[in-house]
Amino acid sequence: MDGINLNALSENATRLGMRIQETIAEHTRDLSLTRGGSSLFDMADDKAKNITKQLESSSDREKLDAMKRLIALISKNRPVSSYFPAVVKNVASPNLELRKLVYIYLLRCAPSEPDLALLSINTFQRDLADPSPLIRAMALRVLSGIRVPTVATIVLMAVRKSAADPSPYVRKAAALAVIKVHKVDQAHHPTLLDIMTTLLRDRSPLSLGTAVLALDTIAPSRLDLLHVHFRRLCRALPDIDAWGQVDVLRVLVRYVRTMLPKPVPASERQGEEVDKDLKLLLACAEPLFMNKNPAVVLAVARAFYYLAPSSMLSKISAPLLRLLSVSREVERVALAYLLVVARSHPVLFITSHNRFLVRVDDAEQVKRRKISVLLALCTADNHQTLLREFMDYAQDTDDSVVGDAIHAIGRIASLVPSSTPQCLTALMGMINSKQDTIVSNAVLVLKSLVQNQLLTPSSTSTTTLPTPFSSQQALLASSIPSLTPSISTSLSAAPLSFTSTESTSVAQAPLSIIAQLAQRIDDIRHPHARACVLWLVGQYGSVTGTKTAVEGVADWAPDVLRKAARSFNTEASLVKLQTLTLAAKLILLAPTHRTLVLLAQYVFTLARYDEDWDVRDRARMLRTLLVGAVTGIMSSNDEDGVGENWNKEEQAGRPGVVLRREQVTRVLFEGKTGTIEEELVADARPLGTLSLVMESESLHLHDDDDDETVIDLPEWLEQGIDPALRDSDDDAPQVASSVQAISSQATSSQRVPTPAGSTPVVLTPIGGSTPKDTKDWRDLNKFYASESESEDESEEEERNGIGEHSSEDEETSEDEEDEGVAEHDPSSSHERAS
Amino acid sequence: MAIDGLIILDPTGRPIIQSSYTTYPAAYPLLHIEALNNALAKAPREGSVDPVIYVGELSCSSACCHVEVGGMRFLATISGDVDPLIAFAFLDAFTEILQDYFGVVSVATLKDNFDIVYQLLEETLDSSGHPLTTSPNLLSDIVLSPSLISKLLASVSATPGVPSVRQGGSFGSNGASGAFTSPIPWRKAGVRHNHNEILFDVVEEMRGIVGKNGTTLASNVFGKIESNSKLSGTPDLTLTFTNPNVMADCAFHPCVRLQKWTRDNALSFVPPEGRFILADYQYRPPQSAVVSNVPIPLSLKANMDMGEFGGTFALTLTSRLIKVMENLELKFYLGEDATSAQCTLSSAGSSVGSVGSADGSWSFNSRTKTLQWEILNMRSSGSWILRGSWTSKIKAPRPAHAFQIRFEIPSYSFSSLKVDQLRLSSETYKMYKGVRMRSKGSIEWRW
Repeated sequence: MDGINLNALSENATRLGMRIQETIAEHTRDLSLTRGGSSLFDMADDKAKNITKQLESSSDREKLDAMKRLIALISKNRPVSSYFPAVVKNVASPNLELRKLVYIYLLRCAPSEPDLALLSINTFQRDLADPSPLIRAMALRVLSGIRVPTVATIVLMAVRKSAADPSPYVRKAAALAVIKVHKVDQAHHPTLLDIMTTLLRDRSPLSLGTAVLALDTIAPSRLDLLHVHFRRLCRALPDIDAWGQVDVLRVLVRYVRTMLPKPVPASERQGEEVDKDLKLLLACAEPLFMNKNPAVVLAVARAFYYLAPSSMLSKISAPLLRLLSVSREVERVALAYLLVVARSHPVLFITSHNRFLVRVDDAEQVKRRKISVLLALCTADNHQTLLREFMDYAQDTDDSVVGDAIHAIGRIASLVPSSTPQCLTALMGMINSKQDTIVSNAVLVLKSLVQNQLLTPSSTSTTTLPTPFSSQQALLASSIPSLTPSISTSLSAAPLSFTSTESTSVAQAPLSIIAQLAQRIDDIRHPHARACVLWLVGQYGSVTGTKTAVEGVADWAPDVLRKAARSFNTEASLVKLQTLTLAAKLILLAPTHRTLVLLAQYVFTLARYDEDWDVRDRARMLRTLLVGAVTGIMSSNDEDGVGENWNKEEQAGRPGVVLRREQVTRVLFEGKTGTIEEELVADARPLGTLSLVMESESLHLHDDDDDETVIDLPEWLEQGIDPALRDSDDDAPQVASSVQAISSQATSSQRVPTPAGSTPVVLTPIGGSTPKDTKDWRDLNKFYASESESEDESEEEERNGIGEHSSEDEETSEDEEDEGVAEHDPSSSHERAS
Repeated sequence: MAIDGLIILDPTGRPIIQSSYTTYPAAYPLLHIEALNNALAKAPREGSVDPVIYVGELSCSSACCHVEVGGMRFLATISGDVDPLIAFAFLDAFTEILQDYFGVVSVATLKDNFDIVYQLLEETLDSSGHPLTTSPNLLSDIVLSPSLISKLLASVSATPGVPSVRQGGSFGSNGASGAFTSPIPWRKAGVRHNHNEILFDVVEEMRGIVGKNGTTLASNVFGKIESNSKLSGTPDLTLTFTNPNVMADCAFHPCVRLQKWTRDNALSFVPPEGRFILADYQYRPPQSAVVSNVPIPLSLKANMDMGEFGGTFALTLTSRLIKVMENLELKFYLGEDATSAQCTLSSAGSSVGSVGSADGSWSFNSRTKTLQWEILNMRSSGSWILRGSWTSKIKAPRPAHAFQIRFEIPSYSFSSLKVDQLRLSSETYKMYKGVRMRSKGSIEWRW
């Protein structure tokens, strides 16, 4: 009963719902006459035929509808250029809504249909004089988007005109157009530079950032053009929009690196010596640390990291840490940068290492970077905490993270030597884990730890040079040079002679670790790890005394060889090679033990018919090596003719060298340098670059961008350039001096600051630039007017230090009719600028 | 050498909206889309995809930076050695703009308003790859929002003749007098409201990690002051707090005068219209100089027993708070090879059945391999127990060694930040002011 009722109810409900929906749809259709809606977006292609007809109709509504259909087609990547003529007719439409859509169409299609766009170029030129700044900017954007070199002069004229536009919005578009024109044809470089000088003088923070960006794009080496603008740019920094701040800071970092003297760190005799212009930049940039935009925060941090004297470096740590909590994506990128800073200046983050703890829901890259950062922050004080953390991370569900965590434990042991026993205990605990990854990684790390430990006490002079190859594979290579005594002397024969009391006591623990590893050889399945254990057993499997079952060989060693021999055929090549080495070493230690020799012969025979060249070669090499030391290794077991012949040939007086046992021992056992965990290479990539973030995949980037990096972050110059070059009419305190300099030339009574030239020419390290500030003084009346003005104002300006910036604002706000705005604005800019 | 373009993919991975890649080969955007879809398909678990994917097939080096918004993927492609942070900041700004325009950002709203989205895209990202105008208040003068008024205006102007001219003219003058000459870049001039109000939402989130032995390894509280302003004219506001010293490492909306904050710890600003985030901060407990660990408001006791092909567990969750916690959610990743889970749930000693009651429930998601336990209301010092077992295909199962706990606490703040007063100068009207507190937490509890 209930069920039926419920059914009836739900049916009614759905009906009602549908009714409501229908009515709503009907009503909204009335309302949203032009609202496209998904019906337009998902429209069938055959309806597209009407578009041309619609575009030519007299009704704006029809036209709007057609334009929307066109844009829907664009977003589906359909060809739309056939409508071009019909669309262009509407570019002068009085309906702004329609015009904007037309422009969007043109912005999309003009670059790909330059010839058609050329036909309508007159319209765009007319639009450049439109009363609406929006239309002017859009027209300029379309014009500069037509990538045909032949119209470049027209475009250039348009850009020049727009560069002097009253609206900063249009001037911004002009700066961007400069970039586009430059991309199409570099021949207009001088004209563009000329336009740039106009744009750089811009007072509006809205367009100033873009102007600097344009200069940076078209003429990255012409930093000299920024001399006179440097101080103004610094002061305007807080008012520029976020994207502009990023660009300006990047350019200014480069400017400072090339033009200013490097800060001198504080010494006993005197304090820090920082150029006052650099101080100005840092002081103006510092408040931007409080910006919400992560890119800005990084740009400021970058400026401090590369420019600031070391005493100010601590300011970057808190803002950079804040980036970690912005979003997952930002955290991922910021960690790459933090890693670089943490490696070079661990002090900055040591107190806040708990901000880098790995969470299980972090992305794999984030986890791995965090482990690296934590390692960089490892000190004698916090290594206990970090060790516990890494032990937790070893249980992660991600194999690569597990590997990183376990290797990190190994690093702690080498960074803080006193912690080695703890690390070893932790790693030994991992050997018993049920997870393959944990076991094999732990073995790899244990191997290098044990080996380093066994090596270091005996060789007081730590001449363990990092070898480019890993030690297992280095066996062959290192055996050759170790014949020459010069190298092997410093490394005494640690495995063979544990006679000195000092080395035995230290070596005791590592040896018991090898014994445990040997006993667990069956559980260690990862080929790399297995090979490691085999090598360790062979290398350190010797004992002195006669208490063992096989004289000279530790009790646990022969059984490992037995097990390895049994599974020889199913092992990986890497393991086979190490089995051979193990066999060779053991029979060398006990050349008279019959079982061992037989076992070795068995292994050598198997290896001789192995698929792998390397295995066959290694077997042959080892065998020949042992000929003189172990009797019966060659002859007795080789039934087939090849070995016999070869052997006979050799014995028949071929001029080969037969080594004595001591010599073979030396070849096989000595000269094994300890594995050095990859040294952290100081990262040459600057902060804020993709290649730094994509560390693992940066090879491709490395190749083609090397020059760019140099440009992006040049080294400090020996000496800065003359700071007087940065004096400009904008600079309140400097105005006086600059005016004096000029007037001194006019009256020729005072000293001339610039050594050459009759005009105050801006000295440029990179060739002839036009002196820009002279242009301002072309008009003598203007010059005198501004001189008196600056003298009048100098006192006041010195006090608030914002100079013309604020007075300019006052002027604009006085034009405003809104009283509230006029009252408000200067105070706000005052607050932020001073 | 910048942001090449922006692509919006629907939940199935097909592009809905795409900026123009006219200066690039046709395959360029496709390669990026493919790279992202491949990475998403390969990801072993949610959120493990690298947000920056390197696309190396092309002659120039490029990468795609992507975020998820409303089930869709927003993807910005960058080329050259630029900072990916710029791309992410741009994606963030663009999403904010879409939210401002359409309220909800979803496939449906974007398809409904695709022409506006395209206009916004042209205005926010120049074809040279540099962001243009991203302030919502400025944009609203350039691109009309799809509100009812603009619809009506458009329909009026659709009738041929005089009205359309007037509209175009009025828009032009509006554009000239509005955004482009407004002395404050983030606020348009001449706003009028009949009812003036400004609301603040202080949202604090605790992020913590608790170690195996129950000690707090890290716990930080991050706060956000969200505002919704509907004020006329050019209101100059000053917001003061009774305890501003609990705020550290602040970040502010561009409207805040930084100088004043550093000098008197007061927020002085002219707000933009509508929703915006006024400030971000980190809570610094007053007694300590450094930002240290904040006590975690709950505790978890976990008895885990790992066996072959699965394991059993007994979890006891207890609140340490006087307030009621809401929407408590505990997640436990059981490993790639987990097959099923069975649990019983009980509250303070009394059993509530194997599936749970209205107050609490558990579920196992076989796709994400995650066990989820939800408690709608957790009273002060209330305690819940979850017992159960799970099975796995492999002999030695590999579950995550931590539980993810999320919770919400309405009208509560960890920092007890308190607004002292909000003063309005430069305008004479009375305004309605409101402040709300809200807290949430996300704790990782290791075992």
